[in-house]
Amino acid sequence: MNDKLIRILYIDDEEHNLQSFKASFRKQYNITTTTSAVEAEEFMEQNNFHVVLADQRMPGMTGTQFFEKIRVRFPEPIRILITGHTDISAAIDAINKGEVFRFIDKPWDYTYVENAIAHAFEIFNTRAELKQRNLDLEKAYEELDKFVYSASHDLRAPLMSVLGIVNLALMEENVESQNEYLDLIKQSIKKLDTFIINIIDYYKNARGVATMAPINFEELVYDVTEAIKYLPEFENIEMITNITQTGVFESDVMKMRIIFNNLITNAVKFQDPKKEKSFIKLSIRATPAGTLITFEDNGLGIKEDDLEKIFKMFYRAGASNSGSGIGLYIVHEAITKLEGKIKVTSTLGEGSIFEIEIPSINK
Amino acid sequence: MTAQFDFILIDDSAFDLFIYEKLIIKSGIGNSVLPFNSAQDALEYLSKEGETIPQTVILLDLQMPGMNGFEFIDEFDLLPEQIKDKIRIYMLSSTIDTRDIDKAKASISIIDLLSKPLEIGVLKTILTS
Repeated sequence: MNDKLIRILYIDDEEHNLQSFKASFRKQYNITTTTSAVEAEEFMEQNNFHVVLADQRMPGMTGTQFFEKIRVRFPEPIRILITGHTDISAAIDAINKGEVFRFIDKPWDYTYVENAIAHAFEIFNTRAELKQRNLDLEKAYEELDKFVYSASHDLRAPLMSVLGIVNLALMEENVESQNEYLDLIKQSIKKLDTFIINIIDYYKNARGVATMAPINFEELVYDVTEAIKYLPEFENIEMITNITQTGVFESDVMKMRIIFNNLITNAVKFQDPKKEKSFIKLSIRATPAGTLITFEDNGLGIKEDDLEKIFKMFYRAGASNSGSGIGLYIVHEAITKLEGKIKVTSTLGEGSIFEIEIPSINK
Repeated sequence: MTAQFDFILIDDSAFDLFIYEKLIIKSGIGNSVLPFNSAQDALEYLSKEGETIPQTVILLDLQMPGMNGFEFIDEFDLLPEQIKDKIRIYMLSSTIDTRDIDKAKASISIIDLLSKPLEIGVLKTILTS
């Protein structure tokens, strides 16, 4: 560790104390000094110090009083009091009111100061880490809350649709038309099943162990299209693939599959019925260093307002025939985990282009 | 002959619109059904045509992309009184989230929260009582 990273503020009314401290430690630490308590506060406003040292005996304000004053506004820096001779009541005040971490005796001992600062810095870091962890945890809770809210809706809605159809079918006296209702039930169940598969993908992507392997894009595209052939809209779309692969490209197979599956399925699902012929052009250029993938379609396209939101969890663009709003979120998560980038350009009524860049794992 | 009502359905699921439209017509409780698959479209319709429509019952879904059910209510509240007077809104949702349920109950414009699937018997009782 480079100790120069430790930022120290030292306040003492005697200039020569500051000078000798600087002379001893300037190579090790990043030191700021001042003889004025007012200036010390100004420095603290501008910089984030790790450790603040103050002399106890200063005219106008003692070190303890200074700490007492700053500790509410600047709780993070660790406070160390430097003192010549301490009576017990001054020490009690320093601890109770100034909440100091250490006392340093004057004249100070080099190793002792070094130790005190090292420990102070350690505590500073531990607290900062704890704070960060708490923030992460809060974010995770928030996401979980949102997830449960939306997932429970998306799990229940198709079931409630099925029950609605059953209610309708029970009112029907003509047995012939039951087939129509069964077909609706089938569609609803498929929708639910797709959602469950998406949730599992999401989980695998977020928590699952990555399995790195050489990617054969021909195979990958074949596997993915085989799996979505059952979609009724699939036969209306022409898929044009252009794959050039040189050398070995290693990546997480699971995540690549998630990306391809969602983007191809979207192109299949969101075709524009007004166009004579729907297409999806898939172009892949893979090298050992990285891969460029482009999905271009002439589908419905995405509204400009929606473009920046489509990767958000449970954001659904467009009302009719929309999915659960989780597919592109998972795609984005997967690409981020692979340290890649995704860019989307789209014109409503014309089509969309998704450009993806994924670096190789062993780059 | 049971009483008949004119309905507006607002639901993003084309599926549910189809089911509930059929249910309402078949059961004989509906005189007419006007389906909207976006709350925004329904709102535009109401602000344009609201003065000419008959007394209407709205069945409003909650979770929809774009404008959701509660956002629709916020906008609906701003419509002129002569339009609002003609309309009774029931929220129809599959939600089991207590915050949603509390919010729906607290809303003055939402008469009641009905849970999906729509039970025609329940709807009849509520509308005729």
